[in-house]
This record gives sequence, structure tokens and C-alpha cells, in this order.
Amino acid sequence: MANAASGMAVHDDCKLKFMELKAKRNYRFILFKIEQQQIVIDKLGEPNESYDDFTSSFPADECRYAVFDFDFTTEENCQKSKIFFIAWSPDSSKVRMKMVYASSKDRFKRELDGISFELQATDPSEMSLDIVKGRVF
Amino acid sequence: MYGGDEVSAIVLDLGSHTCKAGYAGEDAPKAVFPSVVGSIDQMEVETETENNSGPAVDPKSNSKSLDSDKAKGKRKLYVGSQALGYRRDHMEVVSPIKDGVIVDWEAVEGIWDHAFRECLLVDPKEHPMLLAEPSSNTQQQRERTAELMFEKYKVPALFLAKNAVLTSFASGRATSLVVDSGGGSTTVAPVHDGYVLQKAVASSPIGGEFLTDCLTKSLESKGMMIKPRYSFKRKETRPGEFQVVDVDFPNTTESYKLYSQRVVASDIKECVCRAPDTPYDESAYSNIPTTSYELPDGQTIEIGADRFKIPDILFNPSLAQTIPGVENFAEIVPLRGLPQMVIESINKCDVDIRRELFSSILLAGGTASMQQLKERLEKDLLEESPQAARVKVLASGNSTERRFSVWIGGSILASLGSFQQMWFSKAEYEEHGASYVQRKCP
Repeated sequence: MANAASGMAVHDDCKLKFMELKAKRNYRFILFKIEQQQIVIDKLGEPNESYDDFTSSFPADECRYAVFDFDFTTEENCQKSKIFFIAWSPDSSKVRMKMVYASSKDRFKRELDGISFELQATDPSEMSLDIVKGRVF
Repeated sequence: MYGGDEVSAIVLDLGSHTCKAGYAGEDAPKAVFPSVVGSIDQMEVETETENNSGPAVDPKSNSKSLDSDKAKGKRKLYVGSQALGYRRDHMEVVSPIKDGVIVDWEAVEGIWDHAFRECLLVDPKEHPMLLAEPSSNTQQQRERTAELMFEKYKVPALFLAKNAVLTSFASGRATSLVVDSGGGSTTVAPVHDGYVLQKAVASSPIGGEFLTDCLTKSLESKGMMIKPRYSFKRKETRPGEFQVVDVDFPNTTESYKLYSQRVVASDIKECVCRAPDTPYDESAYSNIPTTSYELPDGQTIEIGADRFKIPDILFNPSLAQTIPGVENFAEIVPLRGLPQMVIESINKCDVDIRRELFSSILLAGGTASMQQLKERLEKDLLEESPQAARVKVLASGNSTERRFSVWIGGSILASLGSFQQMWFSKAEYEEHGASYVQRKCP
């Protein structure tokens, strides 16, 4: 357990939908938010939605967590997919919100088994497609 | 588990220079006062009060702390800016913290007492207590803190949160490099997923207080003496005209004189100093326009190159050696500037997270609020960091947030409903003992 963790609860739906994203590939991405002392689902993305659809789903001045299932083809021409975890915390959001999201992240991420990469973003450029690609290859 | 979320918690951040105290959930600390205490040896005072013509001790503070002093025995403590602002014969000013470690627990108790009973007017028995602690706090120190809080103050619940983690979280990041430049020292601490990476923490004794002392010495060498406020009387003879009369108090201690000088000098520093955009160069700055500052005794001084030279000591500590009276300082500490400390600390971390640390360097603490410091640090780091790294130095635009980021982080955390289950409760203390603090507050 990290120092100064908030102890925020995670709604069961978060884990279930994440499993569906991982195993059944029903969703392209999931956005999570903290509401009434627990982490709940904010938005589900259809499998055919793109990375741009994903990034435009984030509110400009509120924090969110998100997972994105990233498909790519390796140099050996092999189809692969990796799951990204993104902690979105824009500078313009309120201190209280930043504190709550940052102090709950470690525990939440542990609940989601199967995340390959993690990004922490404070402005859209920090989670651009180039950065995602840079991490995968 | 502690279940009392109706009563608001108290958040305390005892820094090397100032102590911040207030209620959880608020935006800024209610009380901010120096974390030094005035101390008078009790024996000495008793024998000398009769033949002493000095001003009488404020009767109110006298009676208040008297009974607690009897239990403690030898010395009498004065805490708070008001009590310290008053000069007393033989009063020494002592700091309970040396190099980030508490060495004088009695003085710490004095400070806590002052915060609870005189600033916040609360009974510690009724409020859970969140304390901010330096990243390098040892196990013994933490256990001792827990023991004191539960045994002496009988708090219902306690939490020890790390400075660097609170700052990092308050800026919305679980991973960051926290550069905390405070009064007594500067610490660079990498935080990853809410853990402080202890092995990579770098610290140096160059903080605001050291800069203040350099400024005092440098001004003195140019013939500008800072008179402590107690050493003169200022009367208005005619409207707008003042007469200054020096008064002599032979029994004033050196440490009190230094403390009062620092109060003035640190105000000068905060008013006129700013970090230069490029490394300080004596010849280039010799013709810089001066800024005037009016001292408490009415004397106006002109400050020129020192405005830039003093802050540059943070970046280039060897500069201090050119100031008369501080030459010997290099023998005590290794000379490392702020950018070197940052790079050194990042290089001690795992390769995988270095890139992320470079892109989220957070500034915190009073000295870090110096004008242009952020821009200068960013510039120096860009020059010295690896090519691929994206350097980003962040500081809250709001100066209260920047100065009190640790306290604010603690305040939000302790006010969360979900946090109430995280407290180290009195019942747990009674069952498992003080060492359980390591489990509850890792």
C-alpha cells in the first residue's frame, strides 16, 4: 500500500467491464470517474471507435482514469494488442480533484489485472498517439 | 479502523522554518508560525528577576505555561511569532529540527501545544491528527511521534504522510520528482506510484535561511547593518519625522539577535530577490539598477547585484564563498547546485521511470516560490538533461498553493470520507503498539 492512499472503494462494475474489454474485447476503451466515494464507470467505447474518439472523451477540466485497448502490428507482421492505463489530471482541474484521483490510483490499478503500460497525462499532448506508439514499439 | 468522520481532523506540517496547522478540508492552514522556540533556563531567571530592570514578562503567557513547565522542570519555552517577537533577557532561540531530524522533542511538544491550544483552540483528544513528515524520517522518529501523540495528547487517530507524496498527489500526479526548497534545506525526492524512492533522495542544507544569512553578511560587508527591531526605539517627533534612539540590552543572547535579524533580512529577500536568467557573473551585474528597501529603523538601503547573486547560490553554491563571513561553508557541505541534485536523483532511479520524472518536476516550499526560479531551473535542466528527455518543471500558479502544497495535500486527504478507514486508531495502537505505525502509514 502506498503512503497516503485515500482508501477509495472500487465499484464491481469497473472490474467486470474491464474483464469484458480484456477477454471478450467488447469495448475499445473505458473511462472511469470517482463519484460518491467510489470509482465508477463514466463511459464505454465501442470496439470500432478510434484513438481520437477516445482522447476527445476526456473532459477538459476534470480528472479521469481510463483504459484503452491498443491494436497494432509488429515488425514481424503479427497482430497484437496491449492495454494502456491513463491517469488524466489536467492542470486546470481543482486541487481537491487532483488529490483524490492521485491518491486513489495505485489501489485502483491493482484491481485491474492485465495492464501493460501506464501514462500520466496533464495535457492532451502527453497522451498523443505518438507517445502511445513510442511505448509499444 | 477509526469511524469518526463527524469531527474534522487536524493537519500539521512542522517544517524546518515554519509550522503550518489547521483543519482538514480547508484551503489554507489557519496558523502559520516559526518552528523555533525561545527558551530560558528556569534557574537563571529565578535568581535574576529581582535585580533585573528589563521589561516585565507578559503576565498572560507567563501564567499559562507555568504549570506545564513545572512538570518539565528546567526551562521555559516561548512559542509563536508574538512570543518570539518580544525580547527577553537570556532567551535563546533554539530549533527542534537539525538536518530534517527532530533533536529536541521538548521543543516539538511546545510547538504542538501552541498549535493546538493557542492557535486552533482545540482539544487534541477529540481530533484525529494528520502529520506531514520528511521523506527521510527514520523508524525510531516515527514510532516516537506515534507514542507521543497517543500517550501524551491522547489523540483518537493518527496518520503520518510523507511530504513529497502529499505534494505530488496535490498536483494530480502519483509519479513525479518533488523539489522541495524550504527554510532549512532543499530536498529532491522521486515519488513513484505514491512511494518515495528513498535511495534516490538528494538533499542539501541550502535553503531559505542560508540565503537569508548570505544576504545579511553581504549587506554587512557593504556597510549596511540590519538592526534588529528590539535594539532601537522609534518616535514620531513631528508628523512624518522620526527619531531613532538605540537601546542597549546587554543580556540579549546571540541566537535571539540572529533570529530578529533574520526576520528583517528574509523580508528583504522576499521583496527584492529573483533568480537570474543565466549564471550570475560579477562583472555583468556590477551596473545593474538598484532597488531600494526601507529598513524598520527608517534607513533606506539600495540593493543591486545581491538581488540576483543571493538566489543564484541555489544553483551554484560555490558563489557563497565570495561573500565575506561565509567563506568556510564549502568545507562543511559538498557543493551541488539544484540542477545537479535533480539529475543525480533521477539517475539513481530505474531507467524506465526517468523519462516520466523529467517531465513532471514539481516545485514546492517557500524558497521555491522565488521569482523566476522555475524558469531558471527548467532552462538549466534542458541544457544538462539527456536529449530525448522532455523536461517540464511545474509549480502551482497560486502562491499559497505553492507554499503550502504539503499542508493542502494533507488537508484534502484527511477530509475524504474514504480516508477515515485508513487512520491508525487509538485502539490499534493499544493492541499492537507504536511499531504498528510502519504498517498503517508505510
